[in-house]
Amino acid sequence: MTADRYARQVIHWGEENQQKIADAVIMIAGVGGLGATVSQLLVRAGVGKLYLVDDGIVDWPDLNRQLLYGEGDIDRQKLPLAKERLSAINSTTEISLIGGQVDKNFVMPTDLNAVADCLDNYSSRFLLDELTPEGVFLVHGGLEGDHGQVLTLQSGQSQPMSEIFAGACQPEGSIPVTPDNVVVIAGLMVNELFAILFGRPKLLNRCLVVSLADFHMAFLDV
Amino acid sequence: MIKVQFFSLLRMLLKQERIELSAIEGETVAQLLARLQKQLPTPFLHKLLDDDGRMHAGTIILVNRHNIHHLQGLQTPLNDNDVVAMFPPGAGG
Repeated sequence: MTADRYARQVIHWGEENQQKIADAVIMIAGVGGLGATVSQLLVRAGVGKLYLVDDGIVDWPDLNRQLLYGEGDIDRQKLPLAKERLSAINSTTEISLIGGQVDKNFVMPTDLNAVADCLDNYSSRFLLDELTPEGVFLVHGGLEGDHGQVLTLQSGQSQPMSEIFAGACQPEGSIPVTPDNVVVIAGLMVNELFAILFGRPKLLNRCLVVSLADFHMAFLDV
Repeated sequence: MIKVQFFSLLRMLLKQERIELSAIEGETVAQLLARLQKQLPTPFLHKLLDDDGRMHAGTIILVNRHNIHHLQGLQTPLNDNDVVAMFPPGAGG
């Protein structure tokens, strides 16, 4: 029965928190590796509304980690595919699509509880952080090879991301990204998004640095 | 004491998470890095600095949570009880 859809998670976090998820509006910036998994987990959990932002088309190098897409999707736009697949998982989540890139002309929705930074370059991330409305939480995820990080900022309260990550490198060419690391970082991002919705973020101004090479995690306060 | 923290690839390279060094009055981040390199068995300065001693893009250095890009760069002075963190964040998504 559809009423049982959330039965297993409600045992864990309770009806009150499930309602907070149902009432939540979250923007997913980038529906690639991180974004495909973050959006899918949020939809499965019953989030009320998602905004999806991306302007990409599906290409072969995406298929190792972008879990919403398959071989039959090559050369197709990601956003309509993502909406179709997510709606097939949970039709009760409202999904709004915002085509285009996060650039200086980007208009942020005004009804957000949180933003998930699933982008793949720092210049867009800095702009996303700058555009995030005051008081709204932004959960940043990034990864490379066996390493990755998750960090929560609150616009107006935290240091700007452009200051924290000033001097961070945007490597030339392709960044090494594996399916296992993408899913780990995406899972941590969603865990933090739930924590924010429940009113107790764990990574506010605290970067969780993850190394799959030796299963090590550490906190970096920012 | 000055607490120095290494994250991600730097932690793996140096095989340690942190080290504490006695504070030296007037010492800068650049001087601390040079002192660290003398003390640690693994060469690591080339990961942070070019031949002219300027910072490569890639690793961020925070002093008490603030990126030295927004302080005085490598010339940022350090004080007793400061926390210096070095972290090369991942860029992919």
